[in-house]
Amino acid sequence: MEPNRVVITGMGMVTPLGATFAECARAWREGRCATRQPLPELHGTPLEDIPVATLPGIKAAERLGGRRMLKYMSDAAVLGCLAGREALEDAHAKVRFSPERIGLYAGTGLATADIDEVKAMVEASIDERGQFSCRLLGERGLAATNPLLSFKILANMPPCLISIMECIKGPNLIFTPWEGQTGAALLEAWRAVAIGEVDCALAGAADNAAHPATFIYLHQAGLLRLNEYPASGAAYLVFEPLETATKDGRPIYAEIENVSLSPCDEGVEDPLSEPLGRTFAAAPAILLGLKSIHGGGRLSICGVDQQRLEIELKASS
Amino acid sequence: MKRVAITGFGVVSPIGVDRDSFWDSLARGVSGISPITHFDATTFEVQLAGEVKEELALPEHVKEVSREDPKVGFAYGACAEALSQAGIASLHGRVLLHIGTSLEIFNLNKVIYEGKPDFKAVARDMLKGISPSLQTPLDRASRLITQQFGRPRQSLTNCSACAAGAQAIGHSFHAIRSAYFELAACGGFDSMINPLGVGGFQLLGALTTDNQRGARACRPFDSERKGTVLGEGAAIFVLEPLEKARAEGKEILAEVMGYASTLDAYSLSAPDPDGDGAARTMIMALKDASLSPSEVHHINTHGTGTQLNDEVEAKAIRRVFAETWEKIPVTATKSMTGHLMAAGGPVELGACLLSLIRRVIPPNVSLDQVAEGCELHHVTEPGTRFEGEYVLTNSFGFGGQNASLVLRRYDG
Repeated sequence: MEPNRVVITGMGMVTPLGATFAECARAWREGRCATRQPLPELHGTPLEDIPVATLPGIKAAERLGGRRMLKYMSDAAVLGCLAGREALEDAHAKVRFSPERIGLYAGTGLATADIDEVKAMVEASIDERGQFSCRLLGERGLAATNPLLSFKILANMPPCLISIMECIKGPNLIFTPWEGQTGAALLEAWRAVAIGEVDCALAGAADNAAHPATFIYLHQAGLLRLNEYPASGAAYLVFEPLETATKDGRPIYAEIENVSLSPCDEGVEDPLSEPLGRTFAAAPAILLGLKSIHGGGRLSICGVDQQRLEIELKASS
Repeated sequence: MKRVAITGFGVVSPIGVDRDSFWDSLARGVSGISPITHFDATTFEVQLAGEVKEELALPEHVKEVSREDPKVGFAYGACAEALSQAGIASLHGRVLLHIGTSLEIFNLNKVIYEGKPDFKAVARDMLKGISPSLQTPLDRASRLITQQFGRPRQSLTNCSACAAGAQAIGHSFHAIRSAYFELAACGGFDSMINPLGVGGFQLLGALTTDNQRGARACRPFDSERKGTVLGEGAAIFVLEPLEKARAEGKEILAEVMGYASTLDAYSLSAPDPDGDGAARTMIMALKDASLSPSEVHHINTHGTGTQLNDEVEAKAIRRVFAETWEKIPVTATKSMTGHLMAAGGPVELGACLLSLIRRVIPPNVSLDQVAEGCELHHVTEPGTRFEGEYVLTNSFGFGGQNASLVLRRYDG
């Protein structure tokens, strides 16, 4: 049986360039760059003057239908849920496909915790010698933190929250924490649609790389080159067979002709690093979204995990 | 489509840090659950875990990383054993390395500076190189493995919580079957037996506080189950095209037949009470294996000992195996190992593999009284003979991710 031709019919995005895909795409077309400012949490440290990309106002509670779910969410989960919802709505996916036939293929970045929640727990766990005490953690430290803390730091939670909020029940894969892993998610989503394992795939990633602890790690590990700066962001895309999109009269951003992921020795290559900042796990999905508005062409990105993602895009006719 | 063989298996677990010792404990029904020794948990409500207490024979640089992040050493040890059994010296070439894990380790001590939690002061020290970073990326294990054994074409780190290891194996199985790769090393590794790991899951109410039960505190399907017990370890498998392995004269341990994954889309912590996600996963895995439910001869359940999981899983099994569930022997080896999180699925697949080879089903050692709603054909005694051909194992994760795998005995 011939594999399905796979097209992109939905886009969702939150980046320093905009709070929606339309805003990000407009800024990208106009050649705008991310706004940057130093992190207040790092004032007084050697990173105090080095800015990171800032996100626009995202109106998370309003767009995600209230504050109830936000208490379970890390910042990356919020970004991912916003992008996932926008992409599914853009493609009208939830009214066209059964939940069991929608797959979810995602990348996630390094885990990040709310510093205030951790601080309260640690503060209550310091003994009279000024040392961290497991005994005190058990006695009072745990009671001082958000009981849902584990949900915020488990790496699979951002995509799982999308599944729960959007009722996606199909096959799934979640990879972490760098660009090549999201590349694998995009590759598997493309394959799953091509072979008919799913009728539709939501594929993408979210990364809170501008979190202070992550910024420190990236700096320490030498993962940011001169003039590079971290950025948080998310992008999700809806893939489906060309035949379905055509039959349903859905607008098509681009056709994905081929996806490959292979070892790369040439060092990091992220075409978004200058205008947008380094979004690490989110970068391949953001790049695919922004490239798709030009219709065709070739996308290539090589990340920290030394795996090169290449995607051949064809303009929609 | 190629047939897919298992040619190597390595394991590090609370009941044995190699294949033989793991099986010896499983078959005899020896529990690895005991009071926590990795840190002082005496003031925690949860005081039990399935710890790996033996020191692993690891290269010094791996030991160094493992002192901070023990799961990395477990992954390395299990991988080395699996590759050795399969006669694989290098991962170069059309090889997939795909391993699953769940949570970065976070040392709470690191954020204290001069007796106070002071993130800025700690950050200054980190940036001066005086203290290590707070982040412990989940791909550390795969990096160490590829440093030692060579760089595969793809190296993936799956983070689908308790389903991560099973997903890694299932995805690798499909990749070999479709001829995308010629060899895969796949599985899972995990350890959450640290203050934040145990504390965080205690806060979620997922762990038993029935500490006086000791080695029998993890009680899957039992009427007095009160939550799961954390375990730690790793299990790695080598998968190859069956015909290629046979042509090379390799020992084929078993054949991987089917895999599926689904999402509950219900709750972060609780399974769908109807068991729809669990049932769909098993049905899809059987379809993937071209099997009917009546052809399955043994099930190693997810069986965590939590109120919700066990009842929902039992319900889903009864639904999928409507005609035969009363005759299919099921076990829950978490009763001995505890819940190894991302490594749980792979360790349980290892139990299935060894059950096929040794023709014995390991028992659910803590099951005294089957809970209402958990009725299945439970195996509770060591030494239960098993001559069946097909086995199925389930892994259901926090966040609603489900995975099922099907193995077949290989008789040449």
